[in-house]
Amino acid sequence: MTVTRTSRGARLASRAYVAYAAQRTAQAVAVVLLAYCFTFLVISVLPGDPVTATLRNPQNNFTEEEVQRIIAYYGLDRPVWVQLWEALSRFVQGDLGLSLRSNLPVTRLIGDVLDSTLVLAGSALVVAMVLAFAIAYGTRNAPTPVAKVLRAFPSLFLSVPSFVIGLLLINVFAFQLGLFQVIDSEGPAATFFAAVALGIPVSAQVAEVLITNLDHEARQEYAGFATSRGLSRSRLFWRHLLKPSSLPVVTVVALTVGELLGGALITETIFGRTGIGSLVQRSVTTQDLPVLQAVVVLAAVVFVVVNLVVDLIYPLLDPRVDLRGATRRVRPVSDLEPLEQGAAA
Amino acid sequence: MTTLTTEGRSTSPGGWKPSALRRGRGSGRQVPIGVLLSFGVLLLVVGWSVVPGLFTGQDPAHGVPADAFQGPSTAHWFGTDHLGRDEFARVVHGSASSVTSALVAVAIGVLVGGLVGLLAGFLGGWVDVALARVVDVLLAIPSFLLAVVVVSALGFETINAAIATGVSAVAVFARVMRSEVLKTRRAVFVEASLLLGGSRWHVLLRHVLPNASRSVINLAVLQFGLSILVIAGLAFLGYGDPPPASDWGLLVSSGKDYPLAPWLVYAPALVTIATVLSANRISRWLRKTD
Repeated sequence: MTVTRTSRGARLASRAYVAYAAQRTAQAVAVVLLAYCFTFLVISVLPGDPVTATLRNPQNNFTEEEVQRIIAYYGLDRPVWVQLWEALSRFVQGDLGLSLRSNLPVTRLIGDVLDSTLVLAGSALVVAMVLAFAIAYGTRNAPTPVAKVLRAFPSLFLSVPSFVIGLLLINVFAFQLGLFQVIDSEGPAATFFAAVALGIPVSAQVAEVLITNLDHEARQEYAGFATSRGLSRSRLFWRHLLKPSSLPVVTVVALTVGELLGGALITETIFGRTGIGSLVQRSVTTQDLPVLQAVVVLAAVVFVVVNLVVDLIYPLLDPRVDLRGATRRVRPVSDLEPLEQGAAA
Repeated sequence: MTTLTTEGRSTSPGGWKPSALRRGRGSGRQVPIGVLLSFGVLLLVVGWSVVPGLFTGQDPAHGVPADAFQGPSTAHWFGTDHLGRDEFARVVHGSASSVTSALVAVAIGVLVGGLVGLLAGFLGGWVDVALARVVDVLLAIPSFLLAVVVVSALGFETINAAIATGVSAVAVFARVMRSEVLKTRRAVFVEASLLLGGSRWHVLLRHVLPNASRSVINLAVLQFGLSILVIAGLAFLGYGDPPPASDWGLLVSSGKDYPLAPWLVYAPALVTIATVLSANRISRWLRKTD
């Protein structure tokens, strides 16, 4: 243990790590800024001008003065590049603009509903991890026919539309068994089932990687040696296979963050929850583009930050990772995507 | 079937994989029954979308009010909806838009993503660095959110949903294409071809593209299934063509309002699941036989 600890400390201070960390952080910042530009351009360059169409829509009760004020605020009368530059400098200062619908700051609108979505996404992640590890454990330790069936689970989970899972859960557990009320959509029971609906597709991805890694580790010589020494299956699993197999899962989980946020859109709609997803849903139908853009950028920020943190921590967790010359994401040795490693070289 | 048995063996404690010799010669050439079944499902669905009239005699838009909410029977395989329309006919006629949009999405992903990956991998240098950042950005935005934003900028139509799904798939194709190109470019036979006086274009078209296409085709099949899911999700939220259309996602969405007629949800849902599952199975098989 002491050996690992000193080597970890030494690694943290090593020049290779500092260079790697600096480079990854710079990349992350660049990606966030580019993501903002990208969504801005998608919204303003694509055909159709929903902004002015919305503003001039008589239903919205904007006076001509207000319309002019908003248009001037967003600089819609100026060239796209100027608008982009203004919006970007505002974004860097943390100003995400005003909602076209309610005239409230977008940051406040998002802040109001963020809690609910974070709770949902967090619980979905927990559900996904528990489910994934249970499936992976079953494929190694259950009797062969059961294990075979379990191996088909990830692929099945990935093939079911998430709204079908949600509807199925509501139908069975709310309507037939009465375990939760659809009306009480923020209650703990309803939250749990919403988290299950959101977590199942994510669990499939985690389980797939976990099973592949476990199979890979089980083929190693040390596993064969341990078996020949008389170790039972479950002891082999807990003592030897689990740790090296679950390390790469950290990177996979970080990659599914985007899915949790995107999937929340459908799950929240089905379960009638308020949150980022329902905010997006509402902004889409009312063409409230500043809100939409802010949510997309926020999702990109969350994704980038989570992945940055994982990338910075990973070399400390796994001493096998070679940092020399690594500028992109580093991967474990028993890599699932050997292509990516070749690309980084 | 052969793959199944080898999978079973590798789960033995210790997990030693039997050697290629012991698995028997040519065992990899037999097509597993599950894959054949998957091809069958996809063929059927494509058949539905090309000549729907061949599979159902009923009119998907014409309902008999007296027959509303009938359960699945021999007359109405998937039952009838609230207007007495035949659900099976609606699913069959809806598959045209679901399948075509998925194909459009995959085509966009393959063409745009493939080109980006090819340029990045083959030209290298600053082109590679610049394109890598673009791909990073596309990967950082959750694909479903990206699709929602694109479709709301373009307008709520199924074809726009397909374009949006395609845009969100570009990054994955670009990444795979780039790494395949890099891998092939370093291969000895490419070096030999260059030494023999082959031009860059010759090497690109004759060696790099054919070698890279395998992984890309495999990914395209997988992405076909994923696109069906994304498009169904967009249609479910009402971002596709409005109700007289019968996209699978839209059918589920309108069926969910009638909890006493669960077949209105399950029939289109099962068709969707079977299609996606088949695409996944075929993709996995292609990867294994590589």
